Amino acid sequence: MRPLGDAEDTILIRTTLLVAAMVMLLTACPSLRAPPPDFPESPTAQPATPNAPGTAQPAPSTPNAPPAPGEAPPRPAPKQYRLGPASSALVAQSHKQMMGGDFGLAAATIERAMRIEPDNPLLWIELGRVRYTAGDYSQADAMGHKALALASGDVQAQASAWRLIADSLRSRRRNEEAAAADQKANALSPR
Amino acid sequence: MLGAVAIVVLAAVGYYIYIDRDVTHQFEGRRWTVPAQIYAAPQELYAGLPLLQADMEHELQRLQYRRVDRLEHPGTYREHGNRIDVALRPANFADEARPASILSINLNAEGLESLHDSAGKDVAIFRLEPELIGSIFPSHGEDRIIVTPQQVPALLPAALAAVEDRNFYRHHGVDPVGILRAMWTNVRAGQIEQGGSTLTQQLVKNYFLDSRRTAVRKIREMIMAVALEAHFSKADLMNAYINEIFLGQDGDRAIHGFGLASQFYFGKSLSELDLSEVALLVSIVRGPSYYDPRRHPDRARIRRDLVLRLMVERGVIKQTDAQAAMHKPLGVTAKPGGTYYPAYLDFVRRTLRRDYRNEDLTREGLRIYTSLEPRAQDQAERALERELERLDHAHKYPDAKLEGAVVVTSSQSGDVIAIVGSRNVGYDGFNRALDARRQIGSLVKPFIYLTALETGRYNASTVVQDTPVSIKLVNGKYWEPENFNKTANGPVPVVRALAESLNLATINVGMDVGLPKVAETLQRFGLPRAPAIVPSMLLGTVDATPIEVAQMYNGLANGGFRTSLRAVHAVISEDGKKIRAFPLDVTSVATPENIYQVDRMMEQVMARGTGKPAKSVLPANLVVAGKSGTSSEYRDNWFAGFSGSNVVVVWVGYDENMPTGFTGASGALPVWARLMAGLGTSSWNAPLPESLAETWIDFPTGLQVESGCASNDSTPIAVPVGTQIPLAPQCAAVNNGSNTGIGEIVKRAGEWLRDLVH
Repeated sequence: MRPLGDAEDTILIRTTLLVAAMVMLLTACPSLRAPPPDFPESPTAQPATPNAPGTAQPAPSTPNAPPAPGEAPPRPAPKQYRLGPASSALVAQSHKQMMGGDFGLAAATIERAMRIEPDNPLLWIELGRVRYTAGDYSQADAMGHKALALASGDVQAQASAWRLIADSLRSRRRNEEAAAADQKANALSPR
Repeated sequence: MLGAVAIVVLAAVGYYIYIDRDVTHQFEGRRWTVPAQIYAAPQELYAGLPLLQADMEHELQRLQYRRVDRLEHPGTYREHGNRIDVALRPANFADEARPASILSINLNAEGLESLHDSAGKDVAIFRLEPELIGSIFPSHGEDRIIVTPQQVPALLPAALAAVEDRNFYRHHGVDPVGILRAMWTNVRAGQIEQGGSTLTQQLVKNYFLDSRRTAVRKIREMIMAVALEAHFSKADLMNAYINEIFLGQDGDRAIHGFGLASQFYFGKSLSELDLSEVALLVSIVRGPSYYDPRRHPDRARIRRDLVLRLMVERGVIKQTDAQAAMHKPLGVTAKPGGTYYPAYLDFVRRTLRRDYRNEDLTREGLRIYTSLEPRAQDQAERALERELERLDHAHKYPDAKLEGAVVVTSSQSGDVIAIVGSRNVGYDGFNRALDARRQIGSLVKPFIYLTALETGRYNASTVVQDTPVSIKLVNGKYWEPENFNKTANGPVPVVRALAESLNLATINVGMDVGLPKVAETLQRFGLPRAPAIVPSMLLGTVDATPIEVAQMYNGLANGGFRTSLRAVHAVISEDGKKIRAFPLDVTSVATPENIYQVDRMMEQVMARGTGKPAKSVLPANLVVAGKSGTSSEYRDNWFAGFSGSNVVVVWVGYDENMPTGFTGASGALPVWARLMAGLGTSSWNAPLPESLAETWIDFPTGLQVESGCASNDSTPIAVPVGTQIPLAPQCAAVNNGSNTGIGEIVKRAGEWLRDLVH
């Protein structure tokens, strides 16, 4: 601040004291403050019926309030998908069926699990693997991408999906793309 | 003279040969074709399944399990507090033949708690036997529940022979002695007690000819009966009779065959009937209308008891058994029993016809496994019936009835789990779900905005102009459509334009993006026909059937990974070999990122837009997304949308295509909401893609809001990370470039004071 003369000093002191008094009055009187804005009712993401057993409870798709100024909006917390007991039993059964060479049966068994947990990326990876083993590489690829989309936030599942995609690319002699997919997998979850 | 006789004889022989060929050909076509049996999706049981005890019981009863005090044979269950023990029948699935077994089900307030086998071991997952929903002769397209000789109780052929045709096993088609005897008996009794027709004649009458009773007919019938007997065994003929004879009428649906009749009258399968019930069915043969046990119980009872007496006379049963049976009540269910899903069966038939050659399907004992979920089907039927009744009261045309259609699918797999083709749900007629091709109206809009997002120039917050449009058409005229409420809202964000279904904004966006691109998106998502590339396409002058809409919305509901809708999962031969499987297939038709943004906007349709009225019906915490659709002059009312697990499409309108006077939001939405609420579905909860961020904007203007300046108009959207959105003025004032809160002012004032003092 530039140096002030005496007259201005007085004005400044008086003004400041006035302002300070007003401020203290204001802070002392909560009713004079603007009430905190009502945040709109955002739909919570709790499902109406219990989530399929075994799925990791994902973070709500809608946060409760806009972020503070300058703050980055919160990202969903990292999670890990697991198979529920029913799905695990079915997946185990499908592995047996795969070993017996019956890919159709194995796929049908995974589809049963999907009726119970349609959003679980692990099941899509399993089904993709069945397709892959049966030689349907483009479906394996598509299902790998589907799993990837469902697995947002779960690095293990995403890595698994990328590996499936890589294998399906390699089997179609798209080796460069396969290598890139493998890299993505390793970046997420090194083997 | 001799010549004349010769000609007559020749003619008679010729006629006989002609009839013989005709009758055997027709009979063969049916006799050698044991129709395919069609099954619904089995109910899977596992810990955590939200199926309450009462509903669990209902599912068992649907499969004709009887409640008993002690489990003695398959087909029964027993309740013990919160536990249900079930004696399961052997079951055939597409991928497994399972013997009879015992299962214990423990339930709690939320649903299934645990499952145990007879040894007490924990069972992770168990499926109930699939419900038989129909049989079809693929070549004839009819459906009924066919019973094979193994499934027919031995009493039945014996009873039929005893009552209807004493000499059945001896005569050659016509029984002159039987005719005489019948005449004598009837004269003595003063009434018609016995018919003179053999079972074979009755079979012929039932099969081939209509109900005119002339002498010529009668003679022809006799000749045909003789011809049949010459070619087919008694066992074949009896079985055909059991499966073909007309036994009742259910509205528009004729009840043919004892298998179906057993369901229809008793709600039970034929093999589970007792003596009195078998006798009742046999008594109905003589006149299903006259002896209708529901409408004429007294007559039916008298005849039933007569049948029982005849059976004693012929030595089929003992007198004591007959007495016991006569003491029993008729036992018919009040409401016609047996499940019948004509619209769904129609879809199954078409699927099979499309993908199969007839020869494949006419193999004996085929089993067809579908994805029908009877619980969802019941909910869909109920929702449509109830809401249309309600809407009827407000309707404009006293002579025309509102109609509707519903399709329900599983989002991720594309399984079609319910189809309703008419408000008269048991009616096997015009299947609106598959065949009512109607303009989709605003249902097209999510695809327009998806296309816009794909150009990279739009996101949910982009401000677009809801201002009057005037487009010159090829014919030189100007097209100047309006919003539904005739107003124009000026600059609006995309999320609002979609939520409120603003026509003008959508047209402006669509014209900017380009009609061919929009058309391409529609087809990518499954619209089977190329739409006419005209500006009105943006307002949905595109035709589609409800099932086609369900296919298109499938891609929106599962992250852009379109799965083909399926009703049939597998076709299995009698010996368990898989003839054909319909595997799940996935096609990427849009990026998950773009779909996610559109889905979040469709969530706002429900939260703030034309879908808002559904809130009062839906569970408070159920997140769904959808779109209303109304075609010009309110002729077609649509609501299409999805939850976490299901896509539901509803159409309401008049068959005669008159204006309904209400929008999709008031016509189809109530049906949709009621159904969504009743399905027990899960919330839409797709994960946020990593290249997107959540942010909040002011719904009317599209400007960014923050926590300090939020309001009831603040709306969450998803946009690509790094999207810059101008700040709302109220937020800018609060911010003022630097951190200024009340606290800061006090601090500053304090600092000044200190400076002055020092």
